[in-house]
Amino acid sequence: MQTELLITGAGAAGIAAALSAWEAGCRDILLVDRREQPGGILPQCLHEGFGLASYGAELTGPDYTDRITERLAQTGVRLALGTEVLAVRGDKTAVLSDRSGLTELCFERLILAAGCRERSIGSLPVAGTRPAGIFTAGQAQEMMNLHGQDVGREVLILGSGDLGLIMARQLVLAGKHVIAVVEQAARHGGMARNYHRCIEAFRIPMIYRATVSALHGRSRLSGVTLRRLDSSAEEYIPCDTLVTALGLIPERELVRGLGDPDWLFLAGNCHRVHELVDSAVAEAEAIGARVGGELAV
Amino acid sequence: MRGFDVVVIGGGLLGCFTARNLCRRRLHIALLEAREDVCTGVSRANTAIVYPGYDHKPGTLKAEMTVRANARFAELCAELDVPFSRCGSLMLSCGEKADAVLREKYNNGLSMAVPGLRLLSGEETRELEPSLTKSVTSALYAPTAGTVNPWELGIAASENAAANGAELLFNTRVLGIRKTAEGYRIETDQEVFACRAVVNCAGLYADKVQEMLFPSAVRIVPDGADYLILDRAADNKPTHIIQYEPEDGGKGFNAVPTVEGSLLLGPSERDNELDFAVSEKGLASVRERAAFVLPGLDLGAVIRSFAAVRPNPRREDGGSIGSFVIENPAPGFWSMIGIKTPGLTCADELGRFAAEKAAAFLNAGPNKRFDPRRSGIKKARGMSWEQRAAAIRSDPDYGEVVCCCEDITKAEVLEAIRRGATTLDAVKRRTGACMGRCQGSRCQQKLLALLARELGVPEDAVTKDGAGSEVLGGGRHAD
Ligand SMILES: Cc1cc2nc3c(=O)[nH]c(=O)nc-3n(C[C@H](O)[C@H](O)[C@H](O)COP(=O)(O)OP(=O)(O)OC[C@H]3O[C@@H](n4cnc5c(N)ncnc54)[C@H](O)[C@@H]3O)c2cc1C
Ligand SMILES: Cc1cc2nc3c(=O)[nH]c(=O)nc-3n(C[C@H](O)[C@H](O)[C@H](O)COP(=O)(O)OP(=O)(O)OC[C@H]3O[C@@H](n4cnc5c(N)ncnc54)[C@H](O)[C@@H]3O)c2cc1C
Repeated sequence: MQTELLITGAGAAGIAAALSAWEAGCRDILLVDRREQPGGILPQCLHEGFGLASYGAELTGPDYTDRITERLAQTGVRLALGTEVLAVRGDKTAVLSDRSGLTELCFERLILAAGCRERSIGSLPVAGTRPAGIFTAGQAQEMMNLHGQDVGREVLILGSGDLGLIMARQLVLAGKHVIAVVEQAARHGGMARNYHRCIEAFRIPMIYRATVSALHGRSRLSGVTLRRLDSSAEEYIPCDTLVTALGLIPERELVRGLGDPDWLFLAGNCHRVHELVDSAVAEAEAIGARVGGELAV
Repeated sequence: MRGFDVVVIGGGLLGCFTARNLCRRRLHIALLEAREDVCTGVSRANTAIVYPGYDHKPGTLKAEMTVRANARFAELCAELDVPFSRCGSLMLSCGEKADAVLREKYNNGLSMAVPGLRLLSGEETRELEPSLTKSVTSALYAPTAGTVNPWELGIAASENAAANGAELLFNTRVLGIRKTAEGYRIETDQEVFACRAVVNCAGLYADKVQEMLFPSAVRIVPDGADYLILDRAADNKPTHIIQYEPEDGGKGFNAVPTVEGSLLLGPSERDNELDFAVSEKGLASVRERAAFVLPGLDLGAVIRSFAAVRPNPRREDGGSIGSFVIENPAPGFWSMIGIKTPGLTCADELGRFAAEKAAAFLNAGPNKRFDPRRSGIKKARGMSWEQRAAAIRSDPDYGEVVCCCEDITKAEVLEAIRRGATTLDAVKRRTGACMGRCQGSRCQQKLLALLARELGVPEDAVTKDGAGSEVLGGGRHAD
């Protein structure tokens, strides 16, 4: 099989790149995502705040997804969902896997729009046990908003980036007790508007210059040791759930070792982490237009 | 009351291999394990090295078994369809005192015919392993050293034992043992069993289990150790097992390129037992050692840390015991107490040893139907594209990647559940899902849903590793 333009990842960036490549005249585009739904992380973001720059409104993630997928449906971009890109090789071929089989695909250009993964607590030098009840913020968000799964009752949040702040509010709205958001820096790491809307508005305690130094509980988390970074003082905080928002890592494993070939382009969060979907989309549109123009018929 | 010829207590590596080897005889066997799965204890957390055998005193059971076990290891892993990497090891020295120790080990190894041993200069060592510290003055190279995933090996042995007729009973904790006219009566938190012989493989609790009926001359004094795991994508990983015993004494440090492709670093130095709880100091000491031995290693690529517990055997007077202890306090009763390194290497040898004692005692003839072969779960990763395409044709679930870091498909997860996995950790141990760089943040929820569906239980009943570790709803009860 072959395609002129392969786009890996049908999140906001991948869809935006596909749309602008199509508009630029490329007529052979395959957009692939492992998920069953397009939109990447957007469908799990039930809060409002997407698309102020592009649509002049603060949409929810699913609404934003609807807008861009409606536009996508009006193009001839082929969308392959439930499809994993297993490998990308230096000879401009890729191997795709889905339930119907493996496909070896030749392409002219690849736009990687694979998003990012969350840093897990495993990477931190945290002492203690390794019990159940520890989730990354994006994982907790997916579990609650896409699968209706209930993560816990007494929750501590480690990390105050936007994901941490948004999950703090969502957990409160779900009737959970958010004990505090713990942050190692002296101020929160999210956008001002998320701080006001999520933390101040719900009076969620913030603990700055602190970290979780140990986990307790043999089977399910029963508490954590909180360490103040300035005094090294420690205290035990009982909780059954720890939600971590420790930062995002651009997901580029697929092209590791390929160097920087002239047919490969990175867009969206796998290029650099974007706070706003509008910025991820703007970046992807520019790349899509350029690559699409080169491939235009 | 159910009756068996032999009851094996404990489903760690030793219990699994004892049960497997007992199946070579015409015996009715039960393995009783307190937990929900095999290999959740000492066998879950260790250094994963298959030792070449030069470390131990010639003539001891430990030395003999290790050399023999190493020689047979590839065959064992082929029988059990378990990946084994004979990557070779380099034991480093960074000074004259340690050079002398290496020469001693080298001669020791020669006297036991450990194959292929070579003493290398610092320069030769760095040629083999360029990322090593420049302080290396010499190294003992052992080409037969290797690594295996310990729980994969234990699970394989348990599946092979079950396929040959052994009954594996989980969530069954032995609470008491009595002597009877016919043999022994085993009381558990589930039911009572009668048997003619007992092999006690209770790991950290083997002394306590023996003391349910007999005194034990050996006491287990546990201590802890910490490990770090580096992502397979980490830069400058060594390709050999690197071992370093500092001149000033102290615990040896290892870097092991695992069969999964990650790098295992440890153990740490510390002396307090913390019940499989990681110590911060321990982690710092592992990092420090790693930074010295492998200066170019990217320690930012750590994806996990975990703790192990050593079952140190001590005499009543507190003295430590260097050899393997297999007690036989009464006819028909054997205990393996405080079997630490190289218990993984020698698991099959030790299992065979205990099984043969029990079989001789019971006068059991050979089981002609014993089949030593077991097939593992077919892993998509590592298949050629043609094989993988064929696998999807025969089972579309092979087309669906569930764990994207480790490339584990739905077919593998479902097969693990069919083979008896009932918890997230059991699925992880059987498939490798959740072991990669995102540590399950993208696939744990999918595994949870699959487990619930396949086991026919609500999602909030699914646990990480047994009752009390429910993943949803904040857990059933805090502990
Ligand atoms: C919790 C949260 C809240 C946010 N809130 C806001 C907000 O209020 N306002 C705002 O403007 N922005 C917000 N953002 C930021 C914005 O949503 C993101 O920057 C943007 O959606 C990222 O899009 P992306 O396409 O780069 O990545 P993703 O959406 O992550 O898409 C990447 C896709 O690639 C797929 N993929 C990756 N590898 C493969 C492979 N090998 N094979 C097949 N498929 C693959 C993945 O399945 C995924 O669907 C938020 C982000 C988060 C996480
Ligand atoms: C830190 C460390 C590093 C090591 N590194 C290596 C190495 O690199 N190479 C090597 O060859 N060896 C190594 N070893 C040794 C090896 O790991 C052990 O020898 C081996 O795992 C011991 O297995 P086991 O079956 O005795 O114990 P376990 O795995 O602990 O099994 C005992 C089982 O008994 C069960 N049990 C206990 N009490 C009861 C009861 N009352 N009723 C029912 N069941 C019960 C437990 O639940 C457990 O599952 C290492 C050991 C340690 C501690």
